[in-house]
Amino acid sequence: MKVLAILIIVLTGGLLIYGVEDMPDWGDSNSPASSHVSPKYIKEALEKTATPNIVTAVLADYRGYDTMGETVVIFTAGIGCIIMLRKKRKGEGD
Amino acid sequence: MLEYIISKYNFWVYIILLLIGLYAMVGKKNLVKKLIGMNIFQSAVILFYVSIGVKKGGATVPIFLGDAHAAHGHGHAIIEVASYINPLPHVLMLTAIVVSIATTGVALAVLILIFRRYKTLELDEIIKIRKDTGV
Repeated sequence: MKVLAILIIVLTGGLLIYGVEDMPDWGDSNSPASSHVSPKYIKEALEKTATPNIVTAVLADYRGYDTMGETVVIFTAGIGCIIMLRKKRKGEGD
Repeated sequence: MLEYIISKYNFWVYIILLLIGLYAMVGKKNLVKKLIGMNIFQSAVILFYVSIGVKKGGATVPIFLGDAHAAHGHGHAIIEVASYINPLPHVLMLTAIVVSIATTGVALAVLILIFRRYKTLELDEIIKIRKDTGV
């Protein structure tokens, strides 16, 4: 068990270290993550959404459906916790 | 070689953190320890994403202060992309943090149910009880 776990760790670590070669340097402002849609958000957020905080503008305006799905996740988790942890009535289930 | 290691040092830190979480998930037998390992794993991914958004050279948090808002009123705002860090990873990780809280809560509820039934949280003991009782 322990040997298998360490084997998995070494394999995953090797793959990750191999993959770092293709990642951008730390603080690189021309990295792929900040060169496609992110400049558009920074330039247009204030004009289009009138929100000074770009994170809020993207979270609630550009990606509002994502946030809605997030609230669905929270709702489902809450319902699941309630169903699992409620007190059973007499004569119900095990 | 040393320059290569230093220029990508954030990734090394997150690889170590992620492997600690993965080891706890795979190698430990206590279910609570597995859950803590999952949280460490998620933290590694979240920190990784946030570090992707960093821009060197005087970039600040992506919030326009009062003067920028006033300039917006006149319609002549000139916004330098390089002076604000990438907001996108922050948005995505805000969502990821919320989802990780939800999964942790559900997992803890499941652990409570498991403990009520088997009176233990050790995985090998649970498997043994299940074999003995033939459930």
